[in-house]
Amino acid sequence: MAGSGGNEFRQEMPRSGGYQDIHWAHRSRPRRFGRYSGVVYFGSFLGLTGVAMWGFTGVFQKRRDFEVEMQDGRIAVAPLLLAEQQRMFLKQLRSNRDEEEELMKDVANWKVGHLYNEPVYHNLSNVWIKPAIEEFYAHNKRQDMLNRAYEKNRLH
Amino acid sequence: MVITSDTWLPSHEELTVPELELSSGVLRAGAHHFGKYCDFQSKEFMLCWREEKDPRKCINEGKEVTNCGFEFFGEVKKHCMDSFTKYWNCIDNAGTRMHYDRCRETQAAFDKCVLANLKQERPDLGYFSKVRVHHTKRPKPVEPSHKYPEPTPDMPDFKNEPMPDSVKYGNRFFFN
Repeated sequence: MAGSGGNEFRQEMPRSGGYQDIHWAHRSRPRRFGRYSGVVYFGSFLGLTGVAMWGFTGVFQKRRDFEVEMQDGRIAVAPLLLAEQQRMFLKQLRSNRDEEEELMKDVANWKVGHLYNEPVYHNLSNVWIKPAIEEFYAHNKRQDMLNRAYEKNRLH
Repeated sequence: MVITSDTWLPSHEELTVPELELSSGVLRAGAHHFGKYCDFQSKEFMLCWREEKDPRKCINEGKEVTNCGFEFFGEVKKHCMDSFTKYWNCIDNAGTRMHYDRCRETQAAFDKCVLANLKQERPDLGYFSKVRVHHTKRPKPVEPSHKYPEPTPDMPDFKNEPMPDSVKYGNRFFFN
């Protein structure tokens, strides 16, 4: 525009006297919440929560006592059940070993509890190794093993 | 299976003892009194199981636990048949988890009978959940040491050995 025609260049300026102030600070001032100050609200919140927690201690204690009594009942009979379970377990292991002996008697170079004549574990000090569940259920159906392994996950 | 023909396993005769054939309701109802009656045997067995890590070595302890169970439930059957039957029937129907707190009345009758005949009070709350120290006469098992195969012998120290005659021009490496 500068070099065209005879129009003189004129810079736009604020109007004479300037603009009015914008009163933003006045308009956006935070309003008070409710009737009382924040200290009252926070204080009453904390106070009520404290009273409620104190009131619930008896309930929690009762609940804990209940669980402890149930747990006592389980722990008390655990040795009885465990003893029976271990006897059954050992009996089954013996049966499994006899079964394997009978089953693999025609296989040349087969030792019971080995893969041919290679022992499964390096066990020179002869400690007890609990067989894996696949070995324990080797003569059963696979589904039987899975049922036992995931027994806790099933709905009864 | 990892159980070889050399592994010692107890025979069926050794493992066959009369088992306590009781349903869960009965066991649950009699649990606290049974636990206190057979406190010693139970602790002995559980300690053996924890220490030995071998079910074969704790068979006798386990048999004693079962034997003690027979003794306890036999006593209960002899003296407290009525109150115990009422109690375990109540426990059996007390919710899915057999809640103890729904059968306080029948429990009180059973406790009274046990106190009168077996001279035993019901153990305090949390008695079995606490750590219970047990002094046993069984010697502490020794961990078998792990046996390693023969190690490969080290290389001889070549630095101190004289240079063989076959080496004409000395060492190949400059900094050695």
